[in-house]
Amino acid sequence: MSTAPTQPFTSDVTLTVNGRKRTLTAAHHWTLLHLLREALDLTGTKSGCDRGECGSCTVLLDALPVYSCQVLALQAGGKEVVTIEGVASGPGLHPIQEAFINEDAAQCGFCTPGFIMSAYALLRREPSPTEADVRAALSGNLCRCNAYGRIIQGVLAAAKAMREGAS
Amino acid sequence: MKEALTAVGRSLPRAGLAAKVTGEARYTADVKLPGMLHARLLRSPHPHAEIISVDTAAALALPGVHAVLTPFDPEAAGRLAPDMTILSKRARFVGDEVAAVAADDDSLAEHALQLLRVQYRPLPFETDPQEALRPEAARIHPGGNLCGGAPMLLERGSVERGFAEADLVLEETYKVPCHSAAALEPRAALARWDGDGLTLWKTSRGVHQDRSTLAHALGLPIDSVRVVAPPLGAGFGNKDESRGAAIAALLSRKAQRPVRLDYSRHEEFVAGRVRHSAVIRLAMGVKNDGAITAIDNSTLMNTGAYLASGPGVLRRAAQGSLYLYRCPNVRYQGLLVYTNAPVAGSYRGLGAPQGHFALEVHVDRVAEALGIDPLEFRLMNHVGPEGQEGRRRSPRHEIVDTQPVEGGIPFSSNGLRECLERGAEAIQWRGRPASNPLRPPALRRGTGVAACIYRGGPGRESTARVAIHRSGRVTLATGVIEVGQGAHTVLTQMTADALGCRYEDVDVVSGDTATAPEAPITAGSTATFSSGLATVKAAAKLRGSLLDVASTLFELPRDRIYFNRGLVFSKDRPTELAALSDVAAQMPRGSLEAEATVTPGSPDYIVNSFAAHFAEVEVNLNTGGVRVLRYVAAHDSGKIINPATAVNQVEGGVSQALGLALTEELVTDPGSGVTLNGSFLEHKSPGIAAYPHLQTIFVETEDPLGPFGAKALGEPPTVPVAAAVVNALYDAIGIRFAQLPVTPDKVLDALAEASPRPRRDP
Repeated sequence: MSTAPTQPFTSDVTLTVNGRKRTLTAAHHWTLLHLLREALDLTGTKSGCDRGECGSCTVLLDALPVYSCQVLALQAGGKEVVTIEGVASGPGLHPIQEAFINEDAAQCGFCTPGFIMSAYALLRREPSPTEADVRAALSGNLCRCNAYGRIIQGVLAAAKAMREGAS
Repeated sequence: MKEALTAVGRSLPRAGLAAKVTGEARYTADVKLPGMLHARLLRSPHPHAEIISVDTAAALALPGVHAVLTPFDPEAAGRLAPDMTILSKRARFVGDEVAAVAADDDSLAEHALQLLRVQYRPLPFETDPQEALRPEAARIHPGGNLCGGAPMLLERGSVERGFAEADLVLEETYKVPCHSAAALEPRAALARWDGDGLTLWKTSRGVHQDRSTLAHALGLPIDSVRVVAPPLGAGFGNKDESRGAAIAALLSRKAQRPVRLDYSRHEEFVAGRVRHSAVIRLAMGVKNDGAITAIDNSTLMNTGAYLASGPGVLRRAAQGSLYLYRCPNVRYQGLLVYTNAPVAGSYRGLGAPQGHFALEVHVDRVAEALGIDPLEFRLMNHVGPEGQEGRRRSPRHEIVDTQPVEGGIPFSSNGLRECLERGAEAIQWRGRPASNPLRPPALRRGTGVAACIYRGGPGRESTARVAIHRSGRVTLATGVIEVGQGAHTVLTQMTADALGCRYEDVDVVSGDTATAPEAPITAGSTATFSSGLATVKAAAKLRGSLLDVASTLFELPRDRIYFNRGLVFSKDRPTELAALSDVAAQMPRGSLEAEATVTPGSPDYIVNSFAAHFAEVEVNLNTGGVRVLRYVAAHDSGKIINPATAVNQVEGGVSQALGLALTEELVTDPGSGVTLNGSFLEHKSPGIAAYPHLQTIFVETEDPLGPFGAKALGEPPTVPVAAAVVNALYDAIGIRFAQLPVTPDKVLDALAEASPRPRRDP
């Protein structure tokens, strides 16, 4: 029978979340997902599998999309994290969020933050993606409502809106 | 004068979506309370065992552990269903709930589970339903392994006579495995006691049903239980059970703190609710001219360790065989069997995808034997608006069953023929190439068709309350849960047009027994039809009361006034008199409210939805891989209330069911009862990369009985998919698969057995 210590090892970690520097005491076994949802109450990042299979916990870590359930909280130390709560720059919606509403790119909405984060990473890297680019960039995200057709349209519409907004 | 529709029929934005794209929407696992503990469940490692004892001392001694619940706690004997208590001294499948712990955090709770010392006495077990029916098989429940003690027998005419009249009889056995609904949001429940009152937040498809189940199991008066359903990360027919919530409630009472229980993904696969596996033996008799003389369907379904919604699933598997084609002699014999396997429950379409897979593949087989094109055979034989031949036997004043067996009852509307015709046109069925050349490298293409008949629409009694407040805001209170399908969107649209207000001015109150009116569970594709009728009736009543207010206010007879899009008009002048909110501001009381309850359905007509699906697939002869290239889904769901959300619903349903056709199977090891592939990596659900080019067609019969002419839509898109794909596979490679899913290994095995031949070569 296991007699593991009941008090986990902890360390302080400093990271930037949605532009704000945060210092927290994190247990060594915490994932970044756990830190975001439980310690910071940023529950927009969803936990669909907690084992790197579904993509609903996708966040940006130093501008790259990652499954936050596959990153230890301490590994995020010194890095910059963007979650769904930090995608819009002001009180309004980000063009991707607007496009997801206009194109009905969701059903139950549980996978939606993860898809938006993957799309956000794609459009920062590639402002004019093809449909194949969109499929490839979002292929790490699962939608069990299978709203894939609408999601593809939503991302392409967002790309167009962002290009037009930038020009 | 008929006022123009301003909300119904338009692609208005999905209700509640804004809060979901920003991450603000809190699902059940996002809700936190001060002092909240986290619960974890101990699950049985044995497929069948008696629990002799549970020693909780070591777990309770762990600092931070606040409560343990075992089957030896008297309150855990509360009954959730005829065959299920909150916890049981008998474990009936690998993964069955045995005990539970509440601790300061989830990893501590996890650790405490390992400290529980359980003494099991393993019992003989059965995972195969056929085996479980043997007289010497292990008994899983006291009543025996055959649910209900007898087969379900449904019959019209005489199949013996029908087979005697036939020129040709073909028989085949079809198999559908169990697979998981695997909604992305795992189940969760949060319990809080305030004195003797209990509040439960839970993943739910019906707060009123859950409240009555939980109050009964916990021995509480119904008024002291409040059930709240936060947004649901999809239902698909799942999440209608309450064991987890009851466990959370009992742990919370012991610990005197709020307790939240979250399922892991693995628990979702093993201890959620799977689709019933089915073995279907189908025999069909036909005349040489193509007329069907008899259909005989024997279905064996595995309900796993508990009954859940099994009887409804077994019944739903019958309807295709009984009713999709004109035939005077039909019979359905259904067996539902307990086994020591994961629990099967309701999953989108219930038994219909299984039943239609067998029927629609078999129809292609029969058509080929007669030398008739599969589409033409369906056009010759499908049931028409007049229904099945025969004399009605049920009393004429009774509401017609939405899944009738008898003939002599017409449909309220039936657009099946148009679905077949328009779908065929879109996929260019009649212009298909006559030959099927090998495409480099070793690719073959084929096209298939399958049709669908589906109950849904008329459900149980539904109530809606519509109120307008002085501010001009309108609230719709409905018991229907938004499970992700867009029910609140279409009900809001109906409210707007039935009352004459704007879509944007309606707020939905739902998912909370403290505020929402009684409603049946959100199931069976009944939300649009049944709750829609209640909503329209309540809104129309409210409009009547508001007309009285307006009539006094403008000194006009009430029949000269109407409301449209939030404005008040006189029929005698082109411009509006005022805004509806101006009238609302003059209401004698703070708000005006109207309530309506309807028992949907008709004593004269069957209300059913229809569909015809067409798939074009490509098979790689080297890898066995199957790609769906093009897909056309033609649906008769009556008037479409919101085209955008309806298209999304169809596309999503088709893509979801491609998993059943091609990739998904939840495998239970027969030697141990262990679920072998409880993860998204191994239970392969469709992804965005292979999402096919999909076209949706709505034939839009306006149903005379439905709200604004609408009928059911939620489940039908999943029903004909597997058969359409399997029929396309036959067209491509000349192999008729009788077992799902058609994975590459099955394709390669079949190709090795029969050298591939293009069926339509000259």
